[in-house]
Amino acid sequence: MTSLTGIFSKKESAAEEKIFTPKPYSNPYVVGVGLGLVLLAAFLIMGRGLGASGAVSTLVAVGVEKVAPDHAAQNNFYKEYLGDGTTNPLKDWLLFEVIGVVAGGFLSGTLAHRIKRTTEKGPNVSIRTRLIYAFVGGTIMGIGDRIARGCTSGLALTGGSLLSLGGWAFMFAVFGGGYAVAYFVRRQWL
Amino acid sequence: MKEWFIKLSISKKLTLIAGLLGVLALFIENTSNKNVIDVNAKEMALSTIRNRDRIDPVILADWLIKENSDFTLVDLRSEKEFSEYNIPTSVNIPIENVLASDLMRNQKILLYGNDDVTSAQAWFILRSSNYKAIYILKGGMNGWKKEILFPTLAVNATSEFEKIKQISLHFGGTPQLASAEQSTTSAAIVKPNLPSLPKLTVPAGGKAVKKKKEGC
Amino acid sequence: MMPYFKFDYFGFDFSLVIAFVIGIGFGFALERGGFGNARILAAQFYFYNMRVLKVMFTAIVTAMLGLFYFSWIGWLDLSLVYIGDTYILPQIIGGLLLGMGFVIGGYCPGTSVVSASTGRTDGMIYLLGIFFGVFVFGEMFPLLEGFYNSTNMGRVTLPEFLGLSHGMIVFLVVAMALGAFAAAEWGEKVLAKKNGRGVE
Repeated sequence: MTSLTGIFSKKESAAEEKIFTPKPYSNPYVVGVGLGLVLLAAFLIMGRGLGASGAVSTLVAVGVEKVAPDHAAQNNFYKEYLGDGTTNPLKDWLLFEVIGVVAGGFLSGTLAHRIKRTTEKGPNVSIRTRLIYAFVGGTIMGIGDRIARGCTSGLALTGGSLLSLGGWAFMFAVFGGGYAVAYFVRRQWL
Repeated sequence: MKEWFIKLSISKKLTLIAGLLGVLALFIENTSNKNVIDVNAKEMALSTIRNRDRIDPVILADWLIKENSDFTLVDLRSEKEFSEYNIPTSVNIPIENVLASDLMRNQKILLYGNDDVTSAQAWFILRSSNYKAIYILKGGMNGWKKEILFPTLAVNATSEFEKIKQISLHFGGTPQLASAEQSTTSAAIVKPNLPSLPKLTVPAGGKAVKKKKEGC
Repeated sequence: MMPYFKFDYFGFDFSLVIAFVIGIGFGFALERGGFGNARILAAQFYFYNMRVLKVMFTAIVTAMLGLFYFSWIGWLDLSLVYIGDTYILPQIIGGLLLGMGFVIGGYCPGTSVVSASTGRTDGMIYLLGIFFGVFVFGEMFPLLEGFYNSTNMGRVTLPEFLGLSHGMIVFLVVAMALGAFAAAEWGEKVLAKKNGRGVE
């Protein structure tokens, strides 16, 4: 009996080693070129760049509209994302793009054995604290990217390569804001 | 030289390529020199053969009644003439400003001046600057007046009579009946007494086309 | 003539398919770069892993060069590529907030999606945070609307703003990026020696 289980467990652990050793990340410059080419493809094919936060706004607007349609109709922000009623607001370019991002991220992660149900955090902080920080950070980010009318993918990458003044100013502001606050939350990461 | 390049690490290769392209860009300076153009004369000549870029006033009238909004109607005349009367929904872009305007290369653009000459000139200017879909209103404003606003209808015409009369009235024009004598007299050149031009009620230009957001 | 969509090579519905495919490429590239991992992203702000800078600037330079050269050879009509208006004050303030959210939460919207798709709980929670943040913004919008629409400079590009040619700006950006990369490589080496570790 034990020998049987012994055989199985040995096989399993060998398989585990094979499956769960994540591959190291690729050369950042090569990845950058790849990302740049994807962005360029969007410019050449669609005449627009990438984005992410716009899709979230569309979903929030549609959600609010389902729950409180009059309130949504009076709010100029939601109105922008709901359109004039002729097309389904969910038929949004950014929304489909973001769904693609989910698929692409999952695909890459699977090929590199990096799919893992875990929480990324520094060694000196608990999971609970990390998740609280994540939610707070996300909230601030959500407000910030709407004020700026874009996020790093839309404004920094797209606007940056198009040499938009707003895009570059935004990019410097992002790095500035990050470095300014980094010292205060270092316990979470270091 | 080639082996040296191959032996470089990926990062160094990319650096080299980027550097070269960057320096080259410095010398190129600007990618679209809007004033000097390359015209494919043969292509231009061939494109006139099928006459598909000339639009009859009746067809334009039909589009306007149906509130077809997939094209931009451009009035090439002066501001003064535009404010006296212009075809509903048209935008005033005097011909000298046509290149500097907001018109985009992928828009469907229908041009008219007083007659055919101005619109033909603008047609050439725009087509040779790579605007893809340029159309000319046949007869220009004069043609519009003659066929739509003040059409002369023979008394014994068929059902066309009623249709043309309706179109004319829609645009505030005044259809005129041709008396039997007029068609026989040839010597006397009768200058038609044109009734006054209709008052504009539709605001000119100002496209309410909803631009789909393309931001982040 | 490019951009294909603006010249009616295909319609809106098909463009949604294109969106999905481009999204796959985007997500794939982000994950390859390690951006599904908050620790790597945050490391940028502590100077010991400068991947964020390297990937971002390389991508910007690549796309920028592509736009310049495709326009130069006459294949791309640059005037038809959408550039958003510059609202300088909101974009700077928003950027600062974004930077804070970035280092506190460890992600930005695009990377949080990638992180969530590779199983990270913190990525998912962060994404929920973004939804909440956008909702808060939406509800507060009547108060913020004035500020949101302020300082609109229209469509301004760096060449226009600085009065230099497009090519000159391209050159300067490439030069700046290469300089930043050199500094980043040097910085990483120095810090790695100091701390005896990096994040990979």
